[in-house]
This record gives sequence, C-alpha cells and structure tokens, in this order.
Amino acid sequence: MIEDLREAALKLTPFHSRTSLACRTNTWYRWAGYTVVAEYSTTELEYTATRNGTSVMDLTPMYKYDIKGHRAKDFINYFVTRDLSEMKDNTVAYVIWCNEDGKVVDDGTVFCMNQNEFKICCAVKMLTWLKDSAEGFDIDIKEVTDETAALSVQGPTSCSTLKNYGASDVEKLKPFEMKNYNIDGYSVLISRTGFTGDLGYELWTDPKNAEAMWDSLMEAGKHLKIRPMGMYGLEMVRIEAGFIQTGTDFVSSEHALRPVRMRSPYEIGMGWLVHLKKKDYFVGKRALTKEKETNSTERVLVGLDIDGDKPAHGSVIYNKKKEDIGIVTAALWSPTLKRNIAIASLQRPYGVKIKDDIFVEIYHPEELEYRKIWASCKVVKRQFYSPERRNAVPAEVY
Amino acid sequence: MSKIYDVIIIGGGHNALVCANILAKKNKKVLICEARDECGGLLTNQLTNFLPGLHNNVKSSIDSISTKDYSVKSIALSETGHHLILSNNRNENQKILEKFSPEDADRFFKLEKKLSIFSKTLGSFMQSSPPRVMNNSFSDNFKLFKLGLNVRMLGKKNFNEFARMIGLNIADELEDQFKNTLLQGLIAHDSVTGSNLGPRSPGTLINLLYRMAIYDNSIFGGIKKIEGGVISAINALEENIIKRGVEIKKSCFVKRCIIENDCAKGVELNNGELIESKAVISSADPKSTYYCLLGAEHLDTDFKRRVKHYRAKGRVAKLTLILNKIPEFKGLEQSDLSQRLVVAPSIDYIEENFNFSKFENLSSELMLEMSIPSIDDPSLCEDGMHVMNVQIQYAPYNVKGGWENKSDECISNVLSTISNYAPDINECIDKKEFISPNDIEKKFNVSGGHWHHGEMQIDQLFMLRPIPGAAQYKTPVNGLYMCGAGTHPGGGMTGIPGKNAATEVLRDL
Repeated sequence: MIEDLREAALKLTPFHSRTSLACRTNTWYRWAGYTVVAEYSTTELEYTATRNGTSVMDLTPMYKYDIKGHRAKDFINYFVTRDLSEMKDNTVAYVIWCNEDGKVVDDGTVFCMNQNEFKICCAVKMLTWLKDSAEGFDIDIKEVTDETAALSVQGPTSCSTLKNYGASDVEKLKPFEMKNYNIDGYSVLISRTGFTGDLGYELWTDPKNAEAMWDSLMEAGKHLKIRPMGMYGLEMVRIEAGFIQTGTDFVSSEHALRPVRMRSPYEIGMGWLVHLKKKDYFVGKRALTKEKETNSTERVLVGLDIDGDKPAHGSVIYNKKKEDIGIVTAALWSPTLKRNIAIASLQRPYGVKIKDDIFVEIYHPEELEYRKIWASCKVVKRQFYSPERRNAVPAEVY
Repeated sequence: MSKIYDVIIIGGGHNALVCANILAKKNKKVLICEARDECGGLLTNQLTNFLPGLHNNVKSSIDSISTKDYSVKSIALSETGHHLILSNNRNENQKILEKFSPEDADRFFKLEKKLSIFSKTLGSFMQSSPPRVMNNSFSDNFKLFKLGLNVRMLGKKNFNEFARMIGLNIADELEDQFKNTLLQGLIAHDSVTGSNLGPRSPGTLINLLYRMAIYDNSIFGGIKKIEGGVISAINALEENIIKRGVEIKKSCFVKRCIIENDCAKGVELNNGELIESKAVISSADPKSTYYCLLGAEHLDTDFKRRVKHYRAKGRVAKLTLILNKIPEFKGLEQSDLSQRLVVAPSIDYIEENFNFSKFENLSSELMLEMSIPSIDDPSLCEDGMHVMNVQIQYAPYNVKGGWENKSDECISNVLSTISNYAPDINECIDKKEFISPNDIEKKFNVSGGHWHHGEMQIDQLFMLRPIPGAAQYKTPVNGLYMCGAGTHPGGGMTGIPGKNAATEVLRDL
C-alpha cells in the first residue's frame, strides 16, 4: 500500500531496480517528477569516482524532445541564439534560448540525428514553449522523456569502460560528437557530452534495455573504479567545471515572477552562445542586439576564488565600501583544486572592470552558532577545472 | 527588380486608399496591390448598408471626395405592426417615444446626452496614434496624461458615471431606463452588432460609446447612407489617388513581404514577381499580416502567443436578395423600406440569439438589420428589380456542421424571420446571394472573417490594438507597417487607421 502511494507521487526511472539496490543511504532527490538517488554511500567517494575513475549517473529525468520535419533545422536555428545553420549529422551543440526580451529561458543540448530530425535535452519543462515557438513552422514536436533511459558515464576511465562494454571505437568520438552503437542486441546512442567537466559520455537507450545496460556497464568498469554517483556528487563536479544550472545560477524567464530577476545571456556568461550575425532571425535577436548596442547589460556571472576554506553558500558580496554588489549562486571547497571556489552574480562594473577589493561575507555554522567570516576574493574564470583529457582525441584508454 | 517605390500598400480597402492619398500628397511614390479585382475591401454594397462615412478629421487631410449622404431612420420592427421609427429629428423622436411612454422619451434624451459626453471623450483619443505605455517618451506620456485629464475633466459626477458604465453590459442600463422593449432592443442591437457579445455581456456599453464616437456622438442620428452605396465613396477615393499618381494593381495577390536584415524591402507577388520599396504597409488583418505576409519566423515566441490570442472570429453573415417586387411590411410605407429596418424586438430576443451562436449553433429566429436601398436609388439594380440587403448578426464563424452545409438552413431561417413582418417575402425573391463569415474570410482574405479585422473590446482597443507592443501602426520589423481595421481605432468607415498610419510612415521615411 505504501509502495503504491510512493509510485503514484513520483515516477521511478527505468534504472530504479538497480539504483535503489546500490543506494545504501536511502537518500533520494526529487527531480522533474522522478525520484533519483541523492547519495549512494558517501558523496565525496562518488565525486572522487568522477575525477579518478568512472561515475555513472541516472539522467532519465532530463527533459527530452524530438523535433522532426522538413523545417526542423530552420526551427532549431530560430529557437536558439547560437548559429546552428552548419550543424552536421551526429553532432551535439550546447545552446541557450531566450524570450522576446532577450532573457534566457533555459540552456540545454541539441542533438542532430539528421538534417530533418533533432533532439533537445534540457532541465526545465519546455513543451509549451517549444510548441508556441513552432507556430508557423511545419514540424512535429514530441516529448520523449519517459521513453528514453539516459545514463551519464563520466571520468578518466569512462572511455575504457565503454570499450569494455562493447562500444569498440568510442575513443575516436570527438567532444560533441555522437554515434549509434548496437550492443548486446540493443541500440545505444553514445554522445561525448557531460556535465562534469571531465572526459565523459552520455548514453541513451530504450527503457526496456535500461537494466541490462546498467549491469553490463558495472561489469565493464569493475576494474576501472566505477561507481554510481548521486545528485550531491553532481553538484560538486559541475561547480568545479563552472557549468551553470537553471533555477540555481539564474531563473528561467518563463518561471521568474519578477521581471528584474530575468537574465540575458550576457549576464550569465553565455554571450559566446549568442550569434547576432546569424543570417536568420532568432527569438530574442532584436532585444539582444539592442542590449549589445546600448551596452545595457546589468550583471555578470563570474568565478570567485575565495580566501580560506569555508564554502560561501548563498553569501552576499561586497565592495570595499561594504556596498552590496552581488550574490554567490553556488559554492564549494574543491577537493581536487584545494581551492575555495564559487559562482557569483555581480552588478556590473564589478567583475568586469572592477575586479579588486571584493569581499564575501560567509556565515559558517559552528555547533549552533554562526561564525561570520569576512573573506577577500579574486574574480577568476568560471571554468575552475578542465583537465586536458576532457577534450583529447582519441580519448585516453587504460 | 525594376522601379523602387517609396511605399507599397498591401490591400486596397478604404484605409489603404486614405493612407495612399495622404502619402501621395506628400509626394511619395505609392503602389497599392489589391488581391481582388476591385478596391474597397469589406466596404462593398454587398456587405454594408449604413455607414457614417469618413471621419471629418480624415476628410480634411485627404483630397475632397464628392459623395452625397443622407440620414436614415432606424425602425425597430414589431410583429404587431406598431413599429418604433426614430430619425435624427429630436422633436419627432420625442413625440414617437412619448406615445409609448412619456418617461422613456425624457430618459432617452438624458441618456443620449450623458453617453455623448463620454463618447466625445473617447473620440478625442481615437484620432491619433495611441501612446506607448512605459516608453518614457514625452509625447507618449503627454497623450496618456491628456486622456486621463479628459476623463478627469468630466467632473466628479460624470467621472463616477463613466467609471460605473465603462465595463457595464448594455442590457442592465437599458432595462433600468426604458419600458419600451422595442427601444431596448434597437439600442442593444447597435451595441452588439459586429461583435462576439450578447446584450448581457460585460463591455457592451463601451461598444455603444465607440459606435457613437464614430456616428456623430449620437445614438441613431449619425447613421447615414451614401448615394450609390459605399462603393461610390470608394470609387471617388480611388479616382482621387490615381490623379495624385498612385498606382493601383488589381488582381495582384501579395504572397509575402520581403524581409532583409530584419527590414521590409518590398513584396513578392503570387506570380513570383518582386517589387522593391522603402516601406511596406499592410492593410490586411493582423493575423494575415503576421502569419502570411511577414511569416512566423520573423517573430518572437511571446509575440506569436499574443497574435494567437488576438480574437477575430466573425459573427456576421450577409444575405443579398434580388426582388422582382417590393414586399409588403405590415405597418410600413414603401418609402420606409429604404430605411434601416431592425429585427431585434427585445433584449431577450437578442440574448437568446446570442446563446445559440455562443455554442456555435444557429437560431431559428435571427437578429437582422435590413434595407431595400434601390427604392431611393434605382441605379443599384436592373430596371424594375430591387435589391434587399440583410445583415445577419450571430452567424458564428465555426458553425457546427460547417457553413457549406448550414448556409441553406441559415437562409431559410432568415426568410422565415422576415416573413413574420413581411408575409409575402418568399414570393418576391428572384435571386439570393449568401455570404457567411467563412466566405468573408476566403473572398476578402480576412482571417476569421471578422468585420472589424478583430473584436473591438477593451482588451483589443487603444494601445492594445491589435496587440500590445505593436499598437502604433508598426510591427517588430522595420519598414513594415499596418493600416487596416485591426489597428487603432478599429473598424467602421472612419479612415482614421489609414490616416494615422500614413503619419507614422511619413515620420520614418
């Protein structure tokens, strides 16, 4: 009876029989209507697997959409700010999309299956936005989140793991390339993508193959330090990699209740994904062109290197006059870098022209009391951690 | 591409002609592309009985046109033969209304006076381009301030009345004021005609005010007929602009507007021909302009959402009858038949009619406005024949069963309704021509087949017409403008949209 109620409230992913068995802490995380593991055993161990072995993470709750039709490519190119007019088959692109005010709706990845068939993978439910954007384009849009089982396999030994698993030439895949494999009689789409900043892959298959895929992968990585990773571990690696998360580092313009909370791409470090010279119109182009022309960008998202070793979760940032100039959106003591890092949203010109004399106020909990730490910090590149193996071709094989 | 025009106007409705006239007076080279073989758009004798003619403000800014118009009487028909006949003569009206009830007469004039104060206030705002809200420009803020001031200048008593009435339904007001159901029905008819509302729908009073603002700030007094029908006014306008050097291409269907670097550069015709211009003005309805002429790929998602929400489903059909003799209406002289005959005997009659259409059905008894203009103007018809125009309100665009199957039923319902007043109508008919909202859509390229290119209700008026963010005759694309009834102040034969659009274009060119 209790079991029934739980199933009714949150969906179980196709890997649930395996993840629930591996989850020794019984710590779960609610993600997009699914329940997924937050921590299998110890978050630090899971994090270490990503940086020193292979971690496997259940990505099924990521929203996935099929975009099909003879104008699918035109639509994708209109939908996102990046110029994808030259996008080739079997490649993946990291993109953002904006609303009419040039404020970011969400970020995600576009998969080009062929010139008439694309997939979009993102963190926020996007069906109505996609459908309303597609008005006037003759295309089909279908949500396939529940029909796709997705795993992320990341870490220095991930390529070797996949080779053992049966993806024979996977080391040849360049970053943002993908290939369809037939393994043990079922089809698996492997792309060299990820959210960890390390060498890594993402695997998509039909849910009916999910358990077999999980088992084979664990077997394949047995001697390569494979370990399932939960959501807490992911949060650590993504901050090190400097990846931003919708809802954490910025609020989707479709969800923000206060217009001033919406962010343009230039305000969240995504300006490089905006191609104002793109020949065709894209959603938000007029507003973004105006923002660029009038230089009216208000904020900036930066990386901070903070003195001391106490993570600056949610800290307020000040200038030397003790004026409030921004907020930390994500913070971490990085075990690999041995640095106290954070992602922060600052009011320009701080973080752009003024990078000195910036302080964070950290409230560090110490046995029912807070210790207030006034820590100096440096503005640094947001991509704190990016090993060479991440982009090496062919990928490292052990 | 050969010659470069200053302006290409898509569509040749009266707003387009007015717009072209003003542009040509400023020495702009103008080309009008009209898809049909005649200009005038929805203003044809086929669709239109009575109109006030162009707004005085517009007449003064274009070359004068020589058409005669004369006031018509409004006749609320009663099955008993005791009709209510009102004209623009106050004394006569008083006598007639007093016959029914002395109180009604007094109340009618008081109401008309009060409403005319409000309609003048609205009218002052109708004549120029609506201001942009939150734009921080001086002229926009000044316009808003002026409207606010005008409303405030009404005085405390009137201001409170204005606030009370602005969202009101017309039925409540009329039932409070009058005993005479024919009078109630006649005013209610004029408050809902052309809209998707019944007399008990909120917002019908502002409809009446809007109508009064166009019709000389009077309830019935401003209703006029143009000699030769509206088409003669269109012909006069057309002659004028041709003299001014405007080119008009007829049977010339524009496939799309050419957009380069987010800027309109001309048009492509259905035959593939490209014509270049510095600016393009669309007199088509908003949905056709944005989806067909511009193309959805030039619009932002949020903007497309607003276009999608734009309400533009027509609810008026038209039946033209060619008569071999004049039918006999109980209690009416033959000369009355060229006046405005309204079948709307009570508010409940209209509301019941509306209820059918609300659920996309047809009522068996319909609300009608009709006239036999050929009695005064034999030129409209072949010798010995007569033409009778019947306007059918509450013929829903998406009628259940589809218009291709429902037209005959609608025609027979109309004729049986008329026969309650003119029993011999069926014997007089030689030919019938029926135009449903769907036919209007197809024949005149108006998506939804709406008379006014879209509902004229508070959410689609002033700086919200057609949609917020594009209400100043401009579109998000540079060089593409709009001048049709889908722009402020909307439908009716005012010509103001055309005039205001011309002003905006001249400012940019």
